[in-house]
Amino acid sequence: MAQAAVDWFDFHADYEYSTDDVPVPRLRRRSNVNIDAIHDFPVDCEMAPAQLYSTESGRLFHSGKIAIVTVGLPARGKTHVSVALSRYLRWLGVKTHAFHLGDYRRAHMGPGNDVPHDYFFVNASPASVKLRQTILQKCRFDLYHFLNHEMGQVAIYDAVNPTAEGRRQLSKEFLKHEIQTIFIESYVDDPKIIEQNVRSVKISSPDYQGWNPNDAVQDYIRRMGAKIPHFETMDERELNYIKMSNAGESIIVNNCRFGYLPNRIVFYLMNLHIKSRQTYFARSGVSTGEDSYKADGLLCDEGESYSQRLCNALLEHRKKEREEFIRQGGSDEELKPLTVWTSTRRRTVQTAAHLQERGFKVKQRPQMSQLNPGNSEMTEEEIKTHYPTDWDKHQLDPYHHRFPRGESYHDLAVRMEPIILELEREKNDLLIVAHESVLRVLYGYLMACSTSDIPSLEFPRNEIVEILPESYNNKAKRIPIPHTDTKGAYVP
Amino acid sequence: MASNFGFEQIEDSQICVVMVGLPARGKSLIAQKIVRYLKWLSVNAKSFNVGSYRRADTPHPTADFFDTENVEGERLRRAAAEAAVNDMLRWFEHEGGHVGILDATNSTRSRRAWIEERCKSKGYDVMFVESKCDDEELIMNNILEVKTTSPDYIGQDPEVAARDFRDRIRNYEKVYETIDEPHLTYVKLINVSSQVIINQVSNYLQTRIIYFTMNLHITPRSIWLSRHGESEFNVLGKLGGDAGLSPRGMSYAEALPGLVKASVGVKDITLWTSTMKRTIQTTKHLTYPKKQWKALDELDAGVCDGLTYEEIEKKYPEDFRARDDDKYNYRYQGGESYRDVVIRLEPIIMEMERGSDIMVVTHQAILRCIYAYFMNVPQDQSPWMEIPLHTVIKLTPRAYGTQEERFRANIPAVSTFRAKYTSANMGGETAKRVKPPVAGAQANGVITINDDVETAPQKARAVSVVESLGLNGDKTVVG
Repeated sequence: MAQAAVDWFDFHADYEYSTDDVPVPRLRRRSNVNIDAIHDFPVDCEMAPAQLYSTESGRLFHSGKIAIVTVGLPARGKTHVSVALSRYLRWLGVKTHAFHLGDYRRAHMGPGNDVPHDYFFVNASPASVKLRQTILQKCRFDLYHFLNHEMGQVAIYDAVNPTAEGRRQLSKEFLKHEIQTIFIESYVDDPKIIEQNVRSVKISSPDYQGWNPNDAVQDYIRRMGAKIPHFETMDERELNYIKMSNAGESIIVNNCRFGYLPNRIVFYLMNLHIKSRQTYFARSGVSTGEDSYKADGLLCDEGESYSQRLCNALLEHRKKEREEFIRQGGSDEELKPLTVWTSTRRRTVQTAAHLQERGFKVKQRPQMSQLNPGNSEMTEEEIKTHYPTDWDKHQLDPYHHRFPRGESYHDLAVRMEPIILELEREKNDLLIVAHESVLRVLYGYLMACSTSDIPSLEFPRNEIVEILPESYNNKAKRIPIPHTDTKGAYVP
Repeated sequence: MASNFGFEQIEDSQICVVMVGLPARGKSLIAQKIVRYLKWLSVNAKSFNVGSYRRADTPHPTADFFDTENVEGERLRRAAAEAAVNDMLRWFEHEGGHVGILDATNSTRSRRAWIEERCKSKGYDVMFVESKCDDEELIMNNILEVKTTSPDYIGQDPEVAARDFRDRIRNYEKVYETIDEPHLTYVKLINVSSQVIINQVSNYLQTRIIYFTMNLHITPRSIWLSRHGESEFNVLGKLGGDAGLSPRGMSYAEALPGLVKASVGVKDITLWTSTMKRTIQTTKHLTYPKKQWKALDELDAGVCDGLTYEEIEKKYPEDFRARDDDKYNYRYQGGESYRDVVIRLEPIIMEMERGSDIMVVTHQAILRCIYAYFMNVPQDQSPWMEIPLHTVIKLTPRAYGTQEERFRANIPAVSTFRAKYTSANMGGETAKRVKPPVAGAQANGVITINDDVETAPQKARAVSVVESLGLNGDKTVVG
């Protein structure tokens, strides 16, 4: 599968093997904010965007080392859960990393080769068992290294884990290393959900090129059934597990009472679902008078025409995307409905008015109001004259610094936690119309940006930013709004 | 006016939380804790206990009142439930309520369907919280608790009361139907969260409530709170900093083990401190397992760190005044506000709810927030509470309220309390005494105070004067 191979090369490049065979992780710092940084190893010294406090050990909440182990057949959303959970935990400042066993398997077999057909069987041949062990060893080694030598706190082990016996063994083994285990099972018996998952993730591989999509889906499901005939759903009462049924319809939590983090994880999972959807970001139009924080100005004429153009551009884009998708063999289902979120500031509400007229649902969210600039609501020159020390401090750490009476980006990030969770909850495609500071924080969350990058993210008014979730990460795209300049003014 | 970036503006959603479960399963405790937690987070929450509506008509019912064959009993109980639901709906509509908790057994499908229909017809979300327990010991504990403190059994012989209560439970058991309606939003807590089943949650506020509920348990336990001993900065009247203890503070540290032992006994408790020197030094002589939490560090005073109140008044007069006007929301320049501290303390509060016997040694502002959480003190009052040095406060959450006891180590210390709109010179003042015991308050086991404490600090012996101080001067405190 082409995409997985690319991931393997990127992934393995993170290690250099020194002479005594101890891998030394090479920390890659991506300063390109257009690429999802979720799979980078976390940089030690930096605080995460919503981290409340830092500790010497690097671990938070006295929760110790935790291994989250996924359980579930293929196409049940395990990878999606692992990636989404890492994103959230990293956002909170918990050092997390996901280890996908599938990657190790594909890396070991090499591109184009597959494992022997009895690889997943319970009574597999000795050769297959040995192969399994080798691959498992490599993955476990990296996992232990992360937790023990890199101050990692949560390691997410993404694999099928089909048998109860296997899970018990795993839990015992982790305990020997002082790691607590939480199992997360994604249990799906609704065939529609399975089909949708298979369709969106699995049949884009080269194996299915040229196939009729419906046939491809059925073939994949059949193959998976043959490959992994024996699967035991979780019911081991003595273990800690979270069983999510049918993409979050119901959740069973067994025993996870050993710390603050497990409950926080359950809290996040309650808000997660495995259906993918697009997120769009757009600025509100320019308002009359200054863009003052205290004044709640209405849109000026320019802003009005901007909002009209925004509405058209977005709907055009969605139509075109759908046609392209159908042409490439995707299903011809209706486009997912679009919901719009604005803050309670009038100019954001007005910007969304055209979409509302066309029948789209618009919701106002009070916590999405912009960063309170406090006393710094003036031009740069004025700030430099009136508050020179603050200005210097701000340049050093724009993310955490607060102007007098104002908020910092960190405050904004913490304040927006409910929004972020609602973002995960939302099943429809979502357009967010807000002030630039708010968009920066939300984009920073979805693309795992570091605190040094968030305050300088740019959202010019002639672009709509689209974020597409893919299987391993999020992808950002910029959609131009025709006839518009960066300030939102009309350009013929 | 400070910006209201509060949790309360999440949605305009109004949720009715409906408790479900047999008697003695901790429903009222859970309901009250949810209310307390939400209020601490500035969400308008209220609990409506159907039992108290029923008590208005039938104050001392016997078990057969609860038999479903008893027509008259059924009618009265149904009337009480209706009255409670009506009050709750009225509260939603007219008093801007956000989360109303209907505290009753609600153990039949038909009752639940009726409540759901009533609430949905007015446009409110409904969420059911079921507490299911078959652990005999836990149930017995609860029964013992209820029979001594419930208004239903005041003045009755405890044995008779226990038997009657068990009969009452048996009547409920006959018609109990656990929740399994798949279209309802519910969370089922089995054996106090050893297993939790969550179904069809539909919005963020519901997940927040469930998240909190999963941390709860109903095993009895106590919480001991104390400030660090008097620090050198306290003596000079300075704010913040990371100073060590003064000599009097050191005596407190030495007296603490005795003081705590007298109250705790031989049990093992968990001990939490902040990462600042003064709290660590205070717990030097305690042998319990210790944990340091950065989240327990004192409120960051920003630019005012290291200054006295007088200096602040001179240097930042507007700020000084603004802080007094709205102490909860006011944020020191470069520092924090009480609201920020509350957000920062959330993991601590969750852990305290989850845990059993805990002692926390921390700082004034932090203690005010923690105390306000457990004792339901509203936000405009919590930053002004007096939490004196050299005192251990013991809180015991109970089903119908939280009990408070204070233990003074009679080692004098400065008062760090400053009333609104004053800039009292703090340094060098002698100890401001805690309110003397109110007439009628019990004083168990008073031990004599050693008078030469002041002259010879190293010989200070632990003394404990037990004063049961209620918020309003009476023994049982509001929960």
